[in-house]
Amino acid sequence: MATTTATLTLASADLLSDNLSLSATQTLNKAGTTTGLDSIQYEKLEVPTGTTYDLTNQLGATALGQNKANKVYVANKHTDPTRYIDIYVAAVNIGRLYAGDWMFIPLEAATAAQDVGVNAVDVSQVIEFALIHEGRTLIAS
Amino acid sequence: MATTTATITLASTDIADNALSISNTMTLTTAGTTTGITETTGLARVKMASTTLTDLITVANINGFQAAHSAKVYIKNTGTATDKYATIGLAGTAVTIGRLYGGDWMLFPWDGNENEDVTIDMSDATETIIEYMVFFE
Repeated sequence: MATTTATLTLASADLLSDNLSLSATQTLNKAGTTTGLDSIQYEKLEVPTGTTYDLTNQLGATALGQNKANKVYVANKHTDPTRYIDIYVAAVNIGRLYAGDWMFIPLEAATAAQDVGVNAVDVSQVIEFALIHEGRTLIAS
Repeated sequence: MATTTATITLASTDIADNALSISNTMTLTTAGTTTGITETTGLARVKMASTTLTDLITVANINGFQAAHSAKVYIKNTGTATDKYATIGLAGTAVTIGRLYGGDWMLFPWDGNENEDVTIDMSDATETIIEYMVFFE
């Protein structure tokens, strides 16, 4: 087993009338256990315009990936603040990831359709993506 | 304008042969600008003790919320039981995102269109405190 942690720090000196300083750390474990997730896919890629692309490759298509404590990290590395990619889960647009933004979510992957997708709006954009998971069924070549 | 930052650090020394160390900081800005977000729900804590699917964050209850902009949602399951979880989704049963086990957190962009409320469904009725915070314009 591996030990992987995800730490979040939210900070602002002027959003509220007092300082905002929030920190949260989680250890990334397999579903319902204290055993660490031990599989990872980490890549940088350019997302073309025109359609929604699946990042998680139907992780939930087989029992190996379904209903797990998978984690997904996506960062939009574009530099023009007016540009964004739409984030999809299960083919529904959940929000916009503007240039410089990142997100970190659990992915249940209950079915093959419960994927994370990205759609670059207006211009192609480079993203970084990490999927930390319990395993997946490989596709025969 | 305000300056609010969110930093993530993903770290492991043994998930691969080489250490994993991802660190990224974003500044929370209004849609398409470099102007900092100035509105938030503040940090909320709610006790969940039911396995009924329910709204955790209701779009209509956030005064002045603009849909399809650059809102961000933070949610944490403050429980300690690693075998119990909160399933987070959107828009009733339309979207299931994933499970927050005890101690897990998430941060995601949220369009918050009409009826795209953030939902929660606990794995059992054990009382669990959920924290959440919305940053919006």
